[in-house]
Amino acid sequence: MNVNQDLSFLSLITNASVVVQLVMLGLLVASMISWWYIFQKMFAINEAKQTTDKFERDFWSGLDLQTLFQKVNSRDAGGMESIFEGGFQEFSKLRRQTGADVALVMESTRRAMRAAYHRELDLLEAHLPFLATVGSVSPYVGLFGTVWGIMNAFRSLSSVGQATLAHVAPGIAEALIATAMGLFAAIPAVIAYNRYSSEIDRLATRFDSFMEEFSNILQRQAK
Amino acid sequence: MVFQRQQPGQWKAGALALLVHVLFLGLMIFSVSWQNQEPSGIQVELWSEVPAPAKVAAPAPPRKPEPKPEPKPKPEPKPEPKPAPPEPKPEPKQLKADIELKAKEEEKKKRREEELKQQKEKQKQEEEKRKQKLEEEKRKQELDKKLQQEKQEALRQQQAQIEAENARKAEAVAAGQRMLDDYRGRIQAKIKRFIILPPDLAGNPQAEFDVTLMPTGEVLHLKLTRSSGSGAYDNAVERAIVKAQPLPLPPDPGQFSKFRELHLKFKPREDL
Repeated sequence: MNVNQDLSFLSLITNASVVVQLVMLGLLVASMISWWYIFQKMFAINEAKQTTDKFERDFWSGLDLQTLFQKVNSRDAGGMESIFEGGFQEFSKLRRQTGADVALVMESTRRAMRAAYHRELDLLEAHLPFLATVGSVSPYVGLFGTVWGIMNAFRSLSSVGQATLAHVAPGIAEALIATAMGLFAAIPAVIAYNRYSSEIDRLATRFDSFMEEFSNILQRQAK
Repeated sequence: MVFQRQQPGQWKAGALALLVHVLFLGLMIFSVSWQNQEPSGIQVELWSEVPAPAKVAAPAPPRKPEPKPEPKPKPEPKPEPKPAPPEPKPEPKQLKADIELKAKEEEKKKRREEELKQQKEKQKQEEEKRKQKLEEEKRKQELDKKLQQEKQEALRQQQAQIEAENARKAEAVAAGQRMLDDYRGRIQAKIKRFIILPPDLAGNPQAEFDVTLMPTGEVLHLKLTRSSGSGAYDNAVERAIVKAQPLPLPPDPGQFSKFRELHLKFKPREDL
């Protein structure tokens, strides 16, 4: 066996067995997609936060609800804006119909806001389960590749009479790359998942309390 | 109502993800490839092994220079293309108008002289460099030649050594065979001393035993492979083998492997 084996990273990968290479490829793809989602979620959550902040400032600045609605309706609303939009639209439609009961109007307004709220949260929470899956599974996948590679290394060792570290080392090194890749995919995914789910929870709380406050305001107007 | 909204920054996110992976890959490649230097260390060890056959033809001198010239040729060419030392810039002092012309001319002359000097120095330096280059090349060639000669010599010595070793091995094998026979005889003799022949033994039957020994000479395992036909004689031999412990073994523990499993044959009246 060749003792002066090239131990560079690339040669380790190209010399690995097919199963280990497949595992590495899968992990690379998973890592790519999870990073893509991580950045995408980062942008989406940041934008939702910013628009919510801005809208809350506008809303509590004492602006007339009708003008605020027109302002919001003119642009592609997101976050808290769309809840406001949905609720106010329903409210003004029902108000125009004469003889509508206040309790009924408030009920359907709340329903409309709830629908918008769920849609917003669904949009924010999309792809988060993927991050959770990558975070929990990819270390095991990497471990599988490593175990497979080490099994092969030891099997090839049995055909050699005198076993030295130099015979096993390349096989184990190339096998361990699979674990490294699994961890590289998993760690950011877990961190991002925890961070984003807590941020989305906080946003959901803000939406919830806004819905309560806004329905109070509408109820006062309806009387 | 179909609710769909363009997620913000999809392409940006993709590009960033790609960037992260390229960074990580680059880090891995450059941080792991340092292990490439290990083989060179092994090479040095190989060279230090070569002079070992020096006993045969006394090539003591080539041993020392060998490891040295190896690393030298590489760093040598590097210092050559050193950038020429930066020219000291002529001082751009502008003389004021009210200073005499003479001073100006003198200044100019001086400057010219300085420039000339500098040019000369430059030429000199370049010539020196060229000379150095040539010398270094010559030295390199010489070194290469030397190295080749040394390598050839080393090869020849190795071959000689291998031949000598082969001869030695053959001798050792012969000696080992002799010793093997010698100790086999001793073992048989010792066991024979302990055999108490049964009184009613007819003929000269042969009993064969497989004996497994421990390095201390004790019998680990004993098996009758071919009976002599007389159970009494078989038993007598078996008892004798057990009694004869420890059996005589060569003092060299390396030889023990030949004695681990013995096939012994016993006849009641061998010497007859």
